[in-house]
Amino acid sequence: MTATAANEIRPRRAGPAALLRRYAGLFRVQLAMSALTAMQYRADFVVKGLIAILWMGVTLVPVLVVFGVRKSVAGWSFPESLVVVAWFTLLRAVLEGAVSPSLTAVVEHVRHGTLDFVLLKPADAQFLVSTAKIEPWHLVDVVGALALFAYAFGKIGRWPSLLNLGTGVAFLGLAIIILYSIWILVVSASFWVIKVDNLSYLFGSLFDAARWPITVFRGALRVVFTFVFPIALLTTYPAMALLGRLDLKTALAALGGGLAFAAIARRVWRRALALYTSASS
Amino acid sequence: MSENAMIDVRTLSKTYRVHKRAPGLGAALRSVLRRKYEVVKAVEELSFQIADGERVGFLGPNGAGKTTTLKVLAGLLHPTSGSVRVGSYVPHERDPRFLQLITLVMGQKQQLLWDLPPSETYAMNRAIYDIPRAQADETVRTLVELLEIGDLVNKPTRQLSLGERMKCELVAALLHRPRVLFLDEPTIGLDVSMQAKMRDFIRDYNERFGAAVLLTSHYMDDVVALCPRVVVIDHGRLIYDGDLRELARRVRPDKRMTLRLSRPVDRADLEKLGTVVSADAAQAVLSVPHARLSTVVQGALSALPIVDLTIEEAPLEEVMRELFGAREKEARQVSRAHG
Ligand SMILES: Nc1ncnc2c1ncn2[C@@H]1O[C@H](COP(=O)(O)OP(=O)(O)O)[C@@H](O)[C@H]1O
Ligand SMILES: [Mg+2]
Repeated sequence: MTATAANEIRPRRAGPAALLRRYAGLFRVQLAMSALTAMQYRADFVVKGLIAILWMGVTLVPVLVVFGVRKSVAGWSFPESLVVVAWFTLLRAVLEGAVSPSLTAVVEHVRHGTLDFVLLKPADAQFLVSTAKIEPWHLVDVVGALALFAYAFGKIGRWPSLLNLGTGVAFLGLAIIILYSIWILVVSASFWVIKVDNLSYLFGSLFDAARWPITVFRGALRVVFTFVFPIALLTTYPAMALLGRLDLKTALAALGGGLAFAAIARRVWRRALALYTSASS
Repeated sequence: MSENAMIDVRTLSKTYRVHKRAPGLGAALRSVLRRKYEVVKAVEELSFQIADGERVGFLGPNGAGKTTTLKVLAGLLHPTSGSVRVGSYVPHERDPRFLQLITLVMGQKQQLLWDLPPSETYAMNRAIYDIPRAQADETVRTLVELLEIGDLVNKPTRQLSLGERMKCELVAALLHRPRVLFLDEPTIGLDVSMQAKMRDFIRDYNERFGAAVLLTSHYMDDVVALCPRVVVIDHGRLIYDGDLRELARRVRPDKRMTLRLSRPVDRADLEKLGTVVSADAAQAVLSVPHARLSTVVQGALSALPIVDLTIEEAPLEEVMRELFGAREKEARQVSRAHG
């Protein structure tokens, strides 16, 4: 190693393509780290996989109970409701497998002051913290959700068209963005109030509501779950898309709303960071 | 020097706003409605410059504002007032090129991934800093060799001892070959031999890469061994900036003279020479004013049964204690005068 080589400033490869490549590379490395960490705890892997299956069963219980006594609820038949539950399971897998572990780690970072190390790195801090930790055993949930979809559509006897499927997948992406944004808001809150446990508990409880079609809720709750904590966007609309019951206008509005939500979350995150470095005081 | 200084701090002040809350539920509720803030002045009107390749000790008692200053320099905190420049960058803008230029090591915190071997953290930092693989491999090899950590980098971090972890931590912090090192108590909690190794390493890195080093440590041995120059602060204000030995001379003009004796001598005879710090049958330690040193040495050699005689500066620990002790006393007197 030569002394002059110390920190020659590397020319930044400009352009969005190069940037995308760089962050794709970073994402790959982060994934590899998560996989390696999971491998360190192989016994955990099995246990947590089993627990995931158990939870899936538990998720089904309320729906089975309700439809044990009624043929339809708020205009949704039993198999149609199963589609919503399948969405819920799929989303929960993404949330608990890929979103919350990283963001819970941020809260720990703030608490222990190790967020400093993230901020010292020449890469986007939000990206770094958001991709830091993934729990691969939640793949079990994904498989379960797919099985549930298959069963539900088998019962309905009509498979989604390619268009419906496409809309459904688009909504999956949207739902993930929204969930992620909500989590970013929760994490940002941790910069103000370090004790975020209650907030994440609240988040968990609200998310639980997403197992029901939005039409089940009335009045104020319906408004809250559509606009404030948009579980309608998370499971009901995607399920409607798959079932071919969603019109284009609602779909586009939902898409726009979701993206706006993500932009707001990013802004709040930046404000929170500024507070952390006390730029605002 | 200030024009081409690597680090340039000018009248830097940093205050923290601390949310003040009285104990009790009622007070807690009231404070939600009307937040009361208390201002803590951590750093006040601090100025200093550090040249490229220089090693500077940053000293001061607990709570003096050292960590705060280092965080401002590393871009983690915004200055409340004044200006800071490192290289050609304003730290808090966190330009990626600035972040490539510096590193901050905090002895009390670690960035190594707990469940994985340090080598995995290195792989991650390599990606984050966008370092070509060959260069990163070579840096790791060199640093691992300098620190004598060999296979440790392939053991999970949680299985390493504190000292081993700190060494591995250093490699992670230096992988991108920073030109400016901010080291905040890098040897805290390490045993004496490990401390010595770390010191050698830091000097080696500094000489090899011409990196500027700003170091805080509670162990004055670190400072004596590494830093010809010190910046001393207290209550956020600069109280000394210059040569370390000059500081010792100024605060403690007395030299420390150790006499080894072939037979016991009268204490009264010792007291004629200077202040007796300690004395037993075989050895006496005297404190002697600098100006009288040669007279005293001559007198001692002619009057006492001396086997060996050594003269040293007062230990830096004592210098520091005296420096800050005196200031405490001064402050108390001032406050009494005002009260
Ligand atoms: N995040 C913070 N919020 C409020 N006060 C702080 C914070 N960090 C440090 N301080 C206060 O600022 C002063 C300087 O602290 P610090 O820079 O850590 O000193 P040192 O590193 O020299 O021990 C102390 O009085 C400390 O209590
Ligand atoms: Mg400190």
